[in-house]
Amino acid sequence: MKVLMIFDQIQAGMGGKERANLPLGGKKGEIGSVPMIDPHLKKVEGKVIACLYCGDSYFKENEEEVVKKMTVMVKKLDPDVVICGPAYNYNGYAYMCAAISKEISEKANIPVVAAMSQENEETILKYKEIVNIVKMPKKGGTGLNESLNNICILARKLFDKEDISKLKEKICY
Amino acid sequence: MFEKLEKVLMPVADRLGKNKVLVAIRDGFLVSTPLIIVGSLFILIANFPIPGWSEFWAKIFGEGWESYLSNVARATFDIISLLAVIGIGYSYSRQIGADRIQGAIVSLVSFVILMPTTIVYEGAKGTETLNAISFSFTGTSGIFLSMIVSILSVRIFNWAYKKGWTIKLPEGVPPAVFNSFAALIPSAIVMFIFFLVRILFELTPYESAHNFIYTVLQAPLMGVGNSLGAQIIYVVSCSVFWFFGINGPAVANSVFSPIFRTLSIENLKAFQAGLALPHIYTGQFVDLFQTFGGGGSTLSLVILMVTVCKSERIKQLGKLSIVPGVFGINEPIIFGLPIVLNPVMIIPFIGVPLINTILSAIAFESGFLPYTNGVEIPWTTPLGFSGYLSTGSLKAALFQVILVVLGCVVYYPFIKILDKNYLKDEQSQTEEDELEDISFDDISLDDI
Repeated sequence: MKVLMIFDQIQAGMGGKERANLPLGGKKGEIGSVPMIDPHLKKVEGKVIACLYCGDSYFKENEEEVVKKMTVMVKKLDPDVVICGPAYNYNGYAYMCAAISKEISEKANIPVVAAMSQENEETILKYKEIVNIVKMPKKGGTGLNESLNNICILARKLFDKEDISKLKEKICY
Repeated sequence: MFEKLEKVLMPVADRLGKNKVLVAIRDGFLVSTPLIIVGSLFILIANFPIPGWSEFWAKIFGEGWESYLSNVARATFDIISLLAVIGIGYSYSRQIGADRIQGAIVSLVSFVILMPTTIVYEGAKGTETLNAISFSFTGTSGIFLSMIVSILSVRIFNWAYKKGWTIKLPEGVPPAVFNSFAALIPSAIVMFIFFLVRILFELTPYESAHNFIYTVLQAPLMGVGNSLGAQIIYVVSCSVFWFFGINGPAVANSVFSPIFRTLSIENLKAFQAGLALPHIYTGQFVDLFQTFGGGGSTLSLVILMVTVCKSERIKQLGKLSIVPGVFGINEPIIFGLPIVLNPVMIIPFIGVPLINTILSAIAFESGFLPYTNGVEIPWTTPLGFSGYLSTGSLKAALFQVILVVLGCVVYYPFIKILDKNYLKDEQSQTEEDELEDISFDDISLDDI
């Protein structure tokens, strides 16, 4: 299962909050926080083939353009599944995940999983019916490992085109 | 093994992180932090660690110039218990959904109800009494009592409030008036209870609640906290929690910070008075000698990432992280390298702070370094400066640098393993003739 990850600057290993203006970019292969999710992906025979990233304030200022470009790029790279996150309680990043997930699932016909913590209430409320948003802890909270595992299980089921309604009830918002 | 460890640690972190009392105490203390920092700067200026400092300014402002600065310092750390009682009362009210400001001030009043309010002194006409509150009850010795009183007060207040024992005014009354009347009966109940508590304590040999709590709770707990053993438990748990993505210091501080804070302020008071400093394991010991560049002492790691690593990915992250690292911020590393859930990096991430702690303990215990003066230096102060300002000794600044270098030695084999792996990934990708960077330049929006 070929996986594409979408990150903000922190998860991409491109700096901290001060680099929020990082423009849209991407790398083939694994970058930044991939090693965190990698063992869980292995369990479902997944492998990260590419990572796309964008600073959260750059996204905010160029939302429409970034969403479209990301979607086109995802189509071009043609992964089996896209994971947007984990976004923790980073508000800007969580919103970016949700907005991009929506566009990809609608326009690219590739399954998408997003993940964020409950602190992103507005985003969750607005997108939870359209996008699969997996529950996860805020930055520094408990239960990270478990939610990374949940993301991968859901991704696999989507790829296998299995029924996800029961699982979704348990692990998504 | 990691899974088993996680099964043990998760519930602990969960319980500590969600325990409303502990969270309220931790957050309540944070209210006074900025004031303590400013107050201690006044003390630092009054007692700057340069020979001839005091004499120099005495020539300009006259003898005793320090006392002006001390007045400000006194207004913060000599009333630390009052600040704590208000801060904790407020934050606990917020936690349990009670009226915050009423909760804060009823806590303060309860605390003062318990306080001895007469001071006996030898006057010209023999022994006399003065109606006054002594700083000795509002300073550090009252801290533990302040925690207990504020939690109990808010609890009782909210209990009575929720029972509906309030005076209700007709609709249309302004909310401020409405709230203050609603708080009348609950406040009366709280105050009456503490009135009884005070009388009870006066019947005991301890004579006051302050004396009782200080003797049976605060002094023994501080004794336990003021030890290398407690420091080791603290520093190891901070790192181990981070491995699982849990903010370790936030969990550990909910238990330890009242103790460390109190020890610091006791040193600060001794420093101001020119007395021998009593404690080694203060908040400054934790902030300024255990870790450099954030949890896990990652400044050493970042230095290696910039200097000896070959993989692009690590070098780039290193360059971006070095400036934040100097100021103690390491979020980019924690998630970007990453440290979280990375079984290779966790070993030095635990090891380096542990080694720093033990070596610093030896340096202080042996008298090689003078004890920390309790001046609350912001944790973002770069190393060297922080060591010097907190001890007045250049040796401490040098010692910090040595610890960072030593940290590099410990981190070296581990970051090299990671570096090799990442480098291999990068090379295999170039060999496959795939361009590493994905370019968005030729993306046309019409493709959609």
